[in-house]
Amino acid sequence: MAKNLPQLTIINRLNVLRADRRLTQEQLAKDIGVTRATIVAIEGGGYNPSLELAFRVARYFNADINTIFSVEEENQ
Amino acid sequence: MNRADSALVKVFLYGLPIIAIFGVFSYSYNTGIIDHATGTAQFVNKLAGLLYAIWMTLSIVLSIRLMVSGPSRDQVLSRFTFIRERDEREVMLTGKATKTTFLTTLAILMFLFCISCFQVSIYRVPPEKAVDGKTGFVTLGLTCNLLENSKQAGAHNDEFLKQDIFTYSGLPISRTAIILGLFIWQICSYNITMRRLTNKV
Repeated sequence: MAKNLPQLTIINRLNVLRADRRLTQEQLAKDIGVTRATIVAIEGGGYNPSLELAFRVARYFNADINTIFSVEEENQ
Repeated sequence: MNRADSALVKVFLYGLPIIAIFGVFSYSYNTGIIDHATGTAQFVNKLAGLLYAIWMTLSIVLSIRLMVSGPSRDQVLSRFTFIRERDEREVMLTGKATKTTFLTTLAILMFLFCISCFQVSIYRVPPEKAVDGKTGFVTLGLTCNLLENSKQAGAHNDEFLKQDIFTYSGLPISRTAIILGLFIWQICSYNITMRRLTNKV
């Protein structure tokens, strides 16, 4: 692992978008082809999805990927 | 999974409890008595032997098939070890759990290798064989025998009436027990790690 690099934290608005569309985690998971546990993990920030899944989520919500996922730099 | 693989897996899995029952049966009864038995007991003994031979042969075929065929390995062994890769997160968790299992198994193997090479002997010799008036001895040794029963010729020449107090020369458990232990360890370690990771991520 590279040292002295800033820690990047991925933040997502998945739960906001899901709530806007009145979708359950189970429904969203089914529609984008993952398990509900994965949706729970992404929303909780415990798991960062792959680019492929991130794009799939963006396409599903018909939104730009940057509006769903953004990066925050943590100073060490 | 093709039909042949499916049949092999079923024979292996359904045969396991039967083999275990036969194992307990043969352990509980003196095999010498069964060999000389007549009638039903002899028939059951011969049938058990035949079934065991068939099961063992098919198990060897299955294990070779798993070694050489990637898709079969993924499907069959995944079922044995309860590996579920339904999405990318589970694939990642599987990788982490497999890494943990591999490294812990490697550590166990290193430990087993070290203690199998180590030899300790504490013994007492008769007063006429004393060295500098001392009759108690402790010998430490390291050995690395790659073949079974490769003891050096004439090793018993100096076994002169010495009284063994404690002797350790390699692992006191059988190869079968070690293989079975590692087999169980792999499955348990993987599942425990996977469960821990699933709760965490």
